[in-house]
Amino acid sequence: MVNVMKGVLVTCDGAMKQFLLHLDDTLKLGRKFIIQDLDDNHLFISADILDVLQAKIDDLMDQISFPLAEKGQ
Amino acid sequence: MADNGSSSTSAVLSLNKFSNLECKNLHDYLRTRPQNILEKLYNHPTICLAVYRELPELARQYVIRILFVEQPVPQAVVASWGSQAFSKEHVYVSKVLSELSVWQEASIPGGLLGWILSPTFKKNLKITLLGGGKPWSMSSALDTDNKARDVAFLDSYSLERWECVLHYMVGSQQQEGISADAVRILLHAGLMKRDEEDGSPVITRQGFQFLLLDRHAQVWHFILQYLDTVEQRGLDLVECLTFLFQLSFSTLGKDYSTEGMSQGLLVFLQHLREFGLVYQRKRKAGRFYPTRLAINITSSAANKSAPVLDDDTHKGYIVVETNYRVYAYTDSNLQVALISLFTELMYRFPNLVVGVITRESVRQALRGGITADQIIGYLKQHAHEQMLQDSRNPLPPTVVDQIKLWELERNRLTYQEGVLYSQFLSQADYNVLKEYAQTNGHLIWSHKEKRTLVINKCAHDDVKKFWKRYSKGS
Repeated sequence: MVNVMKGVLVTCDGAMKQFLLHLDDTLKLGRKFIIQDLDDNHLFISADILDVLQAKIDDLMDQISFPLAEKGQ
Repeated sequence: MADNGSSSTSAVLSLNKFSNLECKNLHDYLRTRPQNILEKLYNHPTICLAVYRELPELARQYVIRILFVEQPVPQAVVASWGSQAFSKEHVYVSKVLSELSVWQEASIPGGLLGWILSPTFKKNLKITLLGGGKPWSMSSALDTDNKARDVAFLDSYSLERWECVLHYMVGSQQQEGISADAVRILLHAGLMKRDEEDGSPVITRQGFQFLLLDRHAQVWHFILQYLDTVEQRGLDLVECLTFLFQLSFSTLGKDYSTEGMSQGLLVFLQHLREFGLVYQRKRKAGRFYPTRLAINITSSAANKSAPVLDDDTHKGYIVVETNYRVYAYTDSNLQVALISLFTELMYRFPNLVVGVITRESVRQALRGGITADQIIGYLKQHAHEQMLQDSRNPLPPTVVDQIKLWELERNRLTYQEGVLYSQFLSQADYNVLKEYAQTNGHLIWSHKEKRTLVINKCAHDDVKKFWKRYSKGS
C-alpha cells in the first residue's frame, strides 16, 4: 500500500524552514499545517493554509526590515 | 512571498511561474510563419534585404558565397569554409538558414547532400544587391508638397502619438483619443486586460514590463502583436508586411505617395498613422511621411550599426543618489507616471520631480510584475548625463544591490502544488513509480531513504492510473 496526500511543496532556505517549523509548533496560524518535513530545504504543507502563511511571512519581513531612506525634509 | 491578496491557491501558484514579456526579433517572428507565407514574402526584394541584414555574420557570408552558384553546394564543402573550432557556429547558422527557408537541402548526383538557396530568395536578393526589378509602389514621383514637414516636426509628431498609447496604458490624466482598435491590440497582446468588475482595460504584468522597454523594442513588439490580428481584419498579412519592410527602408523627412495602394493597405496606413509610424496631414492627402519609429523597425536592437531610434530626441533625465533619492528632470506626465511605478514621489516642480526609492515602493512594483532588473535597466537607460560620467556604474551600487535584495526577499519560498507519495511497501515499488514519474517529467522531489516522492499535481491522475495498473500486475 502507498499513502497519497495532496498539498504544496515548499522550497526554501534553512532559516525560513526553521521559521515555518516554529509557526507550526506554536500553532501561530491556528493549527498545524506541515504535513511532512522532507529535508533541509523542503517541506510539504497543506494547500489551504497558503494565503495565511504568506501574509504571516510578509509580516515577518516587514518587521525585520529597516527604513533605509530618509523621507524627512 | 507577497501577493496582492488573491484568494485562490492556484492563482498564487501561477504567480510563481513568471509569465514574462516575450520579445521576439525578426528571426523569431519569421521562423514561426508557415512556409507558404515565407515564400510569398521572399517575392519582395525589400524583405530579402531585411532578412539578409538580420542574419548572423557567418550566415551572411554563406549566402553571399553561394548566391551566384547555380547548383547545390555539398554540405561538407560549406562546413569546410570555417575552421573546425567553430563547428558549433556552423551548425547554428545552418539551422537558422533552413528555418527561414533561405536555403534548402538538395541532393547532388553521387548521393551527397547539398545546400541551395531557395530560388525566390536568390532571385530577389540579387535584385536588391544589383538593382533592377520593378520600382517600389510607394516610390512613385510626387510633385513637391507645398506644406512639407521637416524631420523635427515628424519626430515630435511620432513621439506624441506613441506617448498617447503609453499614456493610455498607465492611465495618466492626459488621456486623449486612442481608438478602439488600438485598445483591442493592447488587449490582444496581453498588455492590458479587461477588469473583472467594470470591464475597463487595466494594465497587466506584461504591460508594466512593456512600459520599461526602450522605444524601439516597444514599437516592434506592438507591431508584431498588431500583425497577429491583421488577418482577422480582412487585411493581407503578406501585403502589410511588405509595406512595413518598404517603410523601414524609406528616408526620413521624405514624402511618399499613396498612389497605387490597395484598399487594405490604406487601412493599414491609417493604423500606422494612429500609432505615429507615419504622418499624414489628412486621410486623403495622397502622401505620407514615414517617421523615425518606422525607419529601421526591422533591425534588432542588438544591431548597433543601425541608427539608434531616438538618440537625439531622448536625453537621460534621472539622477539617483546613494540615499535612494531620485531626481527626474522632466515635465512629461508619462515619465512621471513611469517613475512613480517604483518610487514614492515627494515633490513635483514644473521641470523636476523628486522621489525616493523605498522598500514599499519597490515591492509595489514587484507585485505589479516588474522585475528588479527591469527597474534597474530603466534607471540606467534614462540616467542623466551627470550620472554617466562614471560609465561603468551610472547608478549607485548600493541602490542597485538593494533593489535586487528586495526582489530576492520575496522569493525566499517557492511553492509548487503537488501530491506526496509515501510509505511504499518495498524499495522496488518506490523505484518503479519514481522511474515512471521521472521519465515523464512529473517528479518534483524524491528521497530514496525515506521512500517518499512528490509529484506534480497536474500529473496526479496519470500517475495514479499507472500505479493501479502496476499494482494489479504485480
